[in-house]
Amino acid sequence: MHWIVMALKNAGRRRLRAAVTVGGVAIAIAALFSLLSFQRGYQSGMQGELERLGAHVLVVPKGCPYDAASMALHGASWPCYLKADYLKRVAQTSGVATAAPLLMNAVYDSTTGEQFVYQGAEPGLLAVKRAWHIHGTFPTAVRERLLGARIAEKRHLRIGQEFALPGLPGETGIVSGILAPTQGADDDFTYMPLAEAQRIFQRPNQLTHILVRLTDPNILDAVVSDLRGCDAGMDMNVVPLTHLFHTIQGLVNSTRTLLGCVALVALLIAGAGVSNTVLMAVTERTREIGVLRAVGATPWDVFGLIWLETVQVCLLGGLVGAAVAMMGARGIETWLRERLPFSPTETLLRPEFGLFLACLLTALLLGSVAGLLPAWRASRLTPIEAIRQGGGV
Amino acid sequence: MNTQDLRPIEAMVPPFSASAPPVVIEAVGLTKTYRRGTESVHALDGVSFTVREGEFAAIVGPSGAGKTTLLHLLGCMDTPTAGALTLSGHSTVGLRDGELTRLRREQVGFVFQHFGLLPTLTVAENVALPTLFSRRRAAERARELLERVGLSHRQNHRPHELSGGEMQRVAIARALVNSPRLLLADEPTGNLDSASGASILALFQQLNRDGLTVLVVTHNPVLAAAAPRQLTLRDGKLVLDTGPLSR
Repeated sequence: MHWIVMALKNAGRRRLRAAVTVGGVAIAIAALFSLLSFQRGYQSGMQGELERLGAHVLVVPKGCPYDAASMALHGASWPCYLKADYLKRVAQTSGVATAAPLLMNAVYDSTTGEQFVYQGAEPGLLAVKRAWHIHGTFPTAVRERLLGARIAEKRHLRIGQEFALPGLPGETGIVSGILAPTQGADDDFTYMPLAEAQRIFQRPNQLTHILVRLTDPNILDAVVSDLRGCDAGMDMNVVPLTHLFHTIQGLVNSTRTLLGCVALVALLIAGAGVSNTVLMAVTERTREIGVLRAVGATPWDVFGLIWLETVQVCLLGGLVGAAVAMMGARGIETWLRERLPFSPTETLLRPEFGLFLACLLTALLLGSVAGLLPAWRASRLTPIEAIRQGGGV
Repeated sequence: MNTQDLRPIEAMVPPFSASAPPVVIEAVGLTKTYRRGTESVHALDGVSFTVREGEFAAIVGPSGAGKTTLLHLLGCMDTPTAGALTLSGHSTVGLRDGELTRLRREQVGFVFQHFGLLPTLTVAENVALPTLFSRRRAAERARELLERVGLSHRQNHRPHELSGGEMQRVAIARALVNSPRLLLADEPTGNLDSASGASILALFQQLNRDGLTVLVVTHNPVLAAAAPRQLTLRDGKLVLDTGPLSR
C-alpha cells in the first residue's frame, strides 16, 4: 500500500462531506481559471483587433468614441456621417501616411433573418490593412465585390461569380476578390467601391469613418492634436485607437481586479472550509491516530498523512473546477459578451493548458496551507491520549 | 488472595544463568503519576520485573490497578514519571518521541481490545499498515501472516465484514508484521464471545510456542490461567508475580 492510496481512502471516508469540500474548492478554482483565461483571451483579442485594424487613428462623426470604435470594428449602421471633404483635410495633416475613407452600412435580410455589413472603400484601404491577403483583386469598378472569407464560404461564392447582394433587393455584384481569413470581423464584411456604396445607401459625399495610418506611431499625440485643431475638427471625433484600447483595457482591468479579489476571497473561504473539515475529521479519528502511532507512525508520519489527505482533496477540487471551467468556457464567453461594453471578435476566454496547470498548482498550494493546522494538531496527539480520547474505529 | 503467598519482588527475577534466554523487558521502579486537579494519582508505583524471551505472561488485577498504564509504558506509548525501562537491551530513559516510536515499531506489536482496524482499508492492507511507517514492502509477509491466523480467504474484505474474532486475528497479524520480539495485548478477548476468545488464546499460545514473548492484560480468568506467568497489580503496585520459573 502506498501513502497516497491510504490518504485517498481516508479522504473518501465520508463521501458527502468530501464532495461538499471538493465542491467548494472547485468553485473557487473555476472562478480563478475563468478569470485567468479571460485575462489572456481579452488582452490578446484586443491586441489582435488593433493589429488587424492597421490604423492608428479612427476619425468618426461626433459621438461616443467607444460606440464608434465598436461599430467600426464589428460592423453596424451608423446614425451620423462625415462629409467626404474632411478626408482631404485629414490626409493633408502632417504625419498622416494614409487616410482611408469608409462608408459602412448594415442591412437586415428579412428572408434569412441575418444581418449583412457592407463597406464602401477605396484601394487606399490596402495601405492600412497591411495584414490582408486577397485572392483576386480589390474592387475598383462598378459591381465588383471583395468578400470576407466567412461570408464567401457561407454563401459558396467564388471569384468571378455573380450574386445578389443579400438584404439589398435588386442589387447584384461580381466577386472580384476573396479575403483570406483574418479571424476578425472583416471575415463577415462585403467590400465595394466607395462611390457605389454611397449610391446604394443614398449617402452621396458622406462617410461613416476614416482609418488613419501614421508615418510614425510615436507622433500620435501631435497628429491627433493637429486633426482636432483643423477646421473640420469641431465635426469630427478623432479617436487614437491605442488610447481607446488602453482605456477599455483599463476598465476591464478594474473589473478584473475586483473579480480577482472575489476569486481570492473564494479561495480563502474554500481553504478555511477544507481546513475545518479536516480538523473535524482529525477529531473524529483521534483513536485511529492513536492506533497509527501504536503501530509505528511517528508524529511526522501522522502529519504527512493528514496533510496529504488535505492536498488530495484540494487537488481534486482544482481538477474538477478547472475542468468544469474549461467545459463551460463557451457559456461564460456568451454571458460575458452580453455584458462587456466592448469585446474583441476573437475568443474572450483562452482556457490554455498552462492555465490549467497553474490552477492545479494553486489548488496544491491551497491544500498545502489548509492542511498545515489539522496535520499539526494530529501530529501533536500523543498515542496514549489519542487512544484514551478517541471514539470510532 | 492470601498475602502470605506474595513473594518479594527480588525473588521474581530469575537468577542469572548462562543458558537463560535474553531479557526482553527490564522494568525497574516504574512509576506513573497523573495530576487530577490538585490531586496526584499514582497509576503505577515502583513496579519492577523482568521478562525473558519466549515468556507468556498475563497482567491481572482489578480495574484501576494500573494494568493498561503498565502495558502502555512497556510499549513505549507513554513515558514513566520515574523508574527505568529497558526493551531488548535498549534503555528508553530520555528517548524522544521519534526514538520511542522507532523502538516500538521494531520491537513491539500491539493488540487492542477494540481491534483498532482502519475501516477504509482491506484486511490485507490493515495487516501491512505498520510497514508503511517502517518503509518496507510487506505484501507477501502480510499474506503469510493472514494464512497463519487462518484468514487468507478474507484478505480483500473490509473489517466491517468480519466477526469480532476475525477482526482480532487480523489485529494480531498486523501486530506481527514487523516481526516484533514482544507482543502486548490489552484485553484482547474483552469484546469477544467465549468461543472467539478461546481461539485467540490458542493463537497466542501457538505464537508463544513459536518463540514470541507475549504479555496480555486481561480480566478473562481463562486467559489469565492459561498464561504460565501472572503479574498481579493492585493500586499501582505489583503485588504478585508467579515468576518465570513456574512456567
